[in-house]
Amino acid sequence: MKVLSEDRQRPKIIVNVIVLCVALFGVSKTDVKLSKSSAFERLMVDSVAPLQKSIMQSKQWVSLLFEDYFNNVAASKNNRSFKKEISNLKNKIFKYEELAKENKRLKDLLKFGEEIKAQQVLAQIVAWDASSDYKVIRINKGARDGIKLQSTAVTAEGIVGYVYRLTDHFADILTILDTKNRVDAIVERTRSHGIIEGLSNDKCLMKYVTRIEPVIINDVVITSGLGNIYPKGIKIGTISRIDRESYGITQHIEITPSVNFNRLEEVIILFFKRNELHKVEWDVLDNPK
Amino acid sequence: MKLKLLDTLFPLGLTLLVLLALEIVATTVLPMFGVSQYRLPFNILIVLYIGFKLETPAMAVMILVVQYFHSFFTIEGWGMGTFAGVLICIIISYLRDLMHLTSATLTILLTMLFQMVWFVILSLLIYLRWGDWNYILEKFWRFIPESITVSLLAPIIFYVLDRIWKGTLSEAFGEEA
Repeated sequence: MKVLSEDRQRPKIIVNVIVLCVALFGVSKTDVKLSKSSAFERLMVDSVAPLQKSIMQSKQWVSLLFEDYFNNVAASKNNRSFKKEISNLKNKIFKYEELAKENKRLKDLLKFGEEIKAQQVLAQIVAWDASSDYKVIRINKGARDGIKLQSTAVTAEGIVGYVYRLTDHFADILTILDTKNRVDAIVERTRSHGIIEGLSNDKCLMKYVTRIEPVIINDVVITSGLGNIYPKGIKIGTISRIDRESYGITQHIEITPSVNFNRLEEVIILFFKRNELHKVEWDVLDNPK
Repeated sequence: MKLKLLDTLFPLGLTLLVLLALEIVATTVLPMFGVSQYRLPFNILIVLYIGFKLETPAMAVMILVVQYFHSFFTIEGWGMGTFAGVLICIIISYLRDLMHLTSATLTILLTMLFQMVWFVILSLLIYLRWGDWNYILEKFWRFIPESITVSLLAPIIFYVLDRIWKGTLSEAFGEEA
């Protein structure tokens, strides 16, 4: 290739400088809490994500085909033990129903008010983020299914993250493993308060827990409900390591999330109609009596 | 110049299609097979190809477009990658006479070298933005296997991109075929 002449270098330098400035502006404007995409970006994500979805589905079809065959062989053996388990579980459900009724009665007595029921949408994971720096998953449900930005994603095991980017048919979830995701949390047993941050692919860090808090290994950590993103009481994980130095005012606590992110295939998205949760919080703040 | 810019549109479109296909491989196919901890940064390869081979005033805009398309697959956005990419391509433009991608080994080595430069620029930006060295250290351990794999794939991807840009390189940029 020929070297460009000086006259042709000038527009190149100008373009380079303009693009560098635009890029720096773009970096400074990146929001940590959520991404408000343009209509074109949403259209493009909605166009490419179905490809990711179809690849993921084809894999699931193949694995289901094999699983179904092997499962059928083992199914008859398991049937008898399952019947026993069902009767045990029915007994347990009856006990839990009684506890729920008792809980409601006590709440009424304490005038806590009616708990807002979150709407739930089951979604499948169709892709992961293109950069390993970000622990983000893409799901096959979007704004058309009622999901809103910052809706909470959970599984039966515990919390997954919140909706960071949203299109009509897909959503990106910033998981709790991401360093930019911060969850206000409490230790269930001691009610010690702290902030959870992502640390690595399978660990989180609990920050700002004072040294005098008597937390121990295997203590369960749950969401505190503060921060207007996550509802209260969802399991985050268990304490797997504590470093308590002889100096400093806080302790270094590592959390193992209760959700196995390596085997995650489906999530449940919780969302509230017309921001009811926020409304109740504002009402409580406005009328403390 | 207008004509030359128009000439680049079709191969740029094809390059973006290649990028989309590679991003789908990185975000869906590889995690499906259990590669969930690492992601191959194919966008860096395409940006490096633009820097190595395409000598055009619109180079920075092309990098911006590539990074913009990359941002559909990541929440990283287009800003950091564009900044790093344009800076690297400016460095490459000064060193072009010293670099000749004549063999696969040289392509692998140069791709590895400029990925390291990319990592340094990005780390500085991350530090300026978040002020967190631990995050950069953790990123470094992932960077090593990811960059080596991408460098090894570079000759194949560059060959495909050479086929796409071949006509344009010789006509629009005055290269002797």
